[in-house]
Amino acid sequence: MTEDAEQLFPIEARALAESLEAGLLDLKSHPEDRALIDGVFRDLHTLKGSGAMFGHTRLAQFLHDFETAFEAVRDGRLRVSPALVELGLRACDHAMALLDGGSAEPGEVLLSALAALTLEPGAAQAAAQPDDLAAGTGVGDSLALGREAAAVPDQDGPPPWSLSVYLAGDTLTLGGRPLGVLDELRALGAQRLHPLLDRLPPLSELTPDRLYVGWRMELPGELSEEVIREAFLFHDEGLDLELERRAAGPAEAAAARGATAAADPEQPDAERRPKGSAGAMMRVPAERLDEMMDRVGELVIAEARLAELAARSGDTLLITVAEEIQRLATSMRETTMSIRMTPIGSISGRFRRLVHDLDATLGKPIDLVIEGQDTELDKTVIEMLADPLMHLIRNSADHGLETPEERRSMGKPDVGTIRMGARYSGAEVVITLADDGRGLDLGKLRAHAEKRGLIGPEDDLDDAEIRALILQPGFSTAQSVTELSGRGVGMDVVRRTIEQLRGTLEVESEPGHGTQISMRLPLTLAIIDGLLVEVAGERYTIPLAAVEHIIELPEDRAQETGHTRLLTIRDKLVPFLRLRQLLDSPGAPGPHQKVVVVTAGELRVGLTVDRIIGSSQTVIKQLSPLHAALKSFSGATVLGDGTVALILDVPQLVAFGQALDAVEAA
Amino acid sequence: MMPRAFRSAQPSREFRPAQDVVTLRLGGELLAIESGLVREVLEPGAITRVPNAPAFAAGLLNVRGTVVPLTDLRIPLRMPRCPRDADTRILVLDLKLAGAASVVGILAEKVHEVTQISSAAIEDVPDVGARWPAQFVRAIGRKDTQYFIIPDLDAIFAAFLAVPLGAALQIA
Amino acid sequence: MKRTVLVVDDSASVRRLISSTLRAAGYDTIEATDGQDALSIARTARPAAVITDQNMPNLDGLGFIRAFRALPGTAGVPVIFLSTENAETLKQKARAAGALGWMTKPFDDRKLLNVVSKVLGA
Repeated sequence: MTEDAEQLFPIEARALAESLEAGLLDLKSHPEDRALIDGVFRDLHTLKGSGAMFGHTRLAQFLHDFETAFEAVRDGRLRVSPALVELGLRACDHAMALLDGGSAEPGEVLLSALAALTLEPGAAQAAAQPDDLAAGTGVGDSLALGREAAAVPDQDGPPPWSLSVYLAGDTLTLGGRPLGVLDELRALGAQRLHPLLDRLPPLSELTPDRLYVGWRMELPGELSEEVIREAFLFHDEGLDLELERRAAGPAEAAAARGATAAADPEQPDAERRPKGSAGAMMRVPAERLDEMMDRVGELVIAEARLAELAARSGDTLLITVAEEIQRLATSMRETTMSIRMTPIGSISGRFRRLVHDLDATLGKPIDLVIEGQDTELDKTVIEMLADPLMHLIRNSADHGLETPEERRSMGKPDVGTIRMGARYSGAEVVITLADDGRGLDLGKLRAHAEKRGLIGPEDDLDDAEIRALILQPGFSTAQSVTELSGRGVGMDVVRRTIEQLRGTLEVESEPGHGTQISMRLPLTLAIIDGLLVEVAGERYTIPLAAVEHIIELPEDRAQETGHTRLLTIRDKLVPFLRLRQLLDSPGAPGPHQKVVVVTAGELRVGLTVDRIIGSSQTVIKQLSPLHAALKSFSGATVLGDGTVALILDVPQLVAFGQALDAVEAA
Repeated sequence: MMPRAFRSAQPSREFRPAQDVVTLRLGGELLAIESGLVREVLEPGAITRVPNAPAFAAGLLNVRGTVVPLTDLRIPLRMPRCPRDADTRILVLDLKLAGAASVVGILAEKVHEVTQISSAAIEDVPDVGARWPAQFVRAIGRKDTQYFIIPDLDAIFAAFLAVPLGAALQIA
Repeated sequence: MKRTVLVVDDSASVRRLISSTLRAAGYDTIEATDGQDALSIARTARPAAVITDQNMPNLDGLGFIRAFRALPGTAGVPVIFLSTENAETLKQKARAAGALGWMTKPFDDRKLLNVVSKVLGA
């Protein structure tokens, strides 16, 4: 056996254990799902088998009984119960401990609990809570049932739409994308999608590039007909579409509402499970990726220099080669970057496990809904986010959500919901964590902050400022320390981590309805697409992702002074900032200035520049500590001619401009 | 800080023997920088102005693909400034900034030579030392009849980093 | 991977407008000044989509689309037809020539990006 393979085993085993854990958690809500059962069995089997090969006999022996149990499940001799899932999860933990050289002892307890469960399937309830396991299980069937009953809120909307559609037969030949249409319909909330195959001709008459398949689906009743028809842009020619409102039976309507909450039951298994589980993956040390990114960065700079020299030489052969290299460098860069980009979903397994455990310890049923799992961030950023997010979830579960009794008395469903969402917004990613709990009690917050000496009784704070107090260092909710919030990081550490990532944090809360924490993070990447602009003979780079469009500054506006002004762009007032003034640039502006309209957070702002030079790949070099205090720049880059250009940090620059204006107005 | 250490060790007016330095002219005075710190000497190419940055660190330059801040020791040493000319050079130094190894450029009106000089603490040379902020001068060096200011780079950069935007140095 | 859109229009300003909007949104563009020019580019460049004007010298939009569709490997490449007139007959002709869809000038960048992203997939 090679040394390499031996080093690989623990990595692979950990991946298998993670995949096993995810599979078990999924099984909790889909106990009948064959693909999940097969997956869990396969993971157990592989983990046991490779463990034995690498001399982990204790691990292999321990897993043997679990494998047998899931074999029985697979063959239909045993049903998945919450108790079995719980035991499986604990077995997972124990397997990891064994890999780290931990004691075999706890395994005995698990195995006897498993034996009790498999020998007498009716005894599931008893086996779930033997004394040795009691340290925080409490997940019984009754609880799980109670949750299912409460999961579908009773509300009536307009009856759903029923849609049957066939696109024109020549759609594919003309480059139309039926899948795009379906994606759009899915985004609108389409469910129960069925293919319609009745127009499929006999094989002898089938033309491969014609489209014969149609689809039937249900769409939420709240949508207007126009919105639905908009999904068929460019498909109106030859379109065969039937759209009608359908009075659904109560059972069906309830099922439809239930399904929108989380995973679509008709979605194939592969899509429901988070990406990044084992499979055909290769694990690479992160430092090697960093190194690779550095090399690619240098390549991009060298390539830019080559392109410039080639252009200057006028030698067409050389230019062709330079262009070829540019193409290669671009795709190389994109590949490298995509390797570093990781979907948020890659760490969501930890959150689901945490909620599962919290659920048991706190005696509060909790539903964790994760949205935008595919949103990608740089790997380092994701890793740094994991702990703060765990802390926020723990906080929500511990302090935010009420007990089922309290919730019932307030007319809320027994099951509390924690919702984690991730989405792109301009050049940023916004991650939100919201609960539907009791919200922040501003009076108590204020009193607590006063007691801690963070503010005085005379300080005049508005609600937002009071809410922000929980982010202050020294504001520990020590008085309500529980087992959970006692450990881990505090809110101020959460804030510091976010700030380290050049992000911002916002707390919103409505008493009785819940609390939401929003984190805005830049897509901090080593290389970005940049728009190179010129102001007073100096060149600056604006991240292209932030650029919406570019317009000419009307000549009559060119000579005005002041930092922020308003400009009418397509009937909308857009504030604009004069970069020349913000950057303290010499000289007077020329007559033909351009306005680069950028998004900064939720804001659209124009930046006036003298000239647009073009867009190019931009390797971000961090500024030295000497310039770290200058927040208006997110870094610098080396241009093709060897000079350095600063990269503008658009949100910070906008804030700077507004601050300058405030100072002048005062 | 380090310079104080050899004040007590060195008797008055006695110069510590021979250390390798690069000598340069700045603000009309002669300075010496420990040659071990100097990575290379460059002719000033394109220097990028950093808007709203303090005068001490007002520029950036490209040194073989690395973006390096350009600093002007005349600000903390309260020396008169003159425009760049054909003699102007940039010394690229390896320094520690906030604990991390960093590359920093410093401006020189003219770079003279690599040589050996002996040095003494600033207090021991009152007639020469009194003109500069004592906390930023590590020692006074001497070669034959010429005196050199040996700036305390650690103290200068630490003071700059201690205050946001280097306000202290700008006002000083 | 950036996708390349072939932009065909005899008006340099319209070409540039479309190009810069698409580039800012992350697409690559190649510009052609008329149908003839576009055809010779299309033979080698293999664009992911084509946006073409109708009224152009040498070879007009309809003619170009027909010739384009006759090239090997162009099945499945979406062509968007631009015109200043919103005439039903012209629209039918464009469709028959092999255009997927139609946009009437003037249009703004939002509409353009919406159309292109739908056609190419976001």
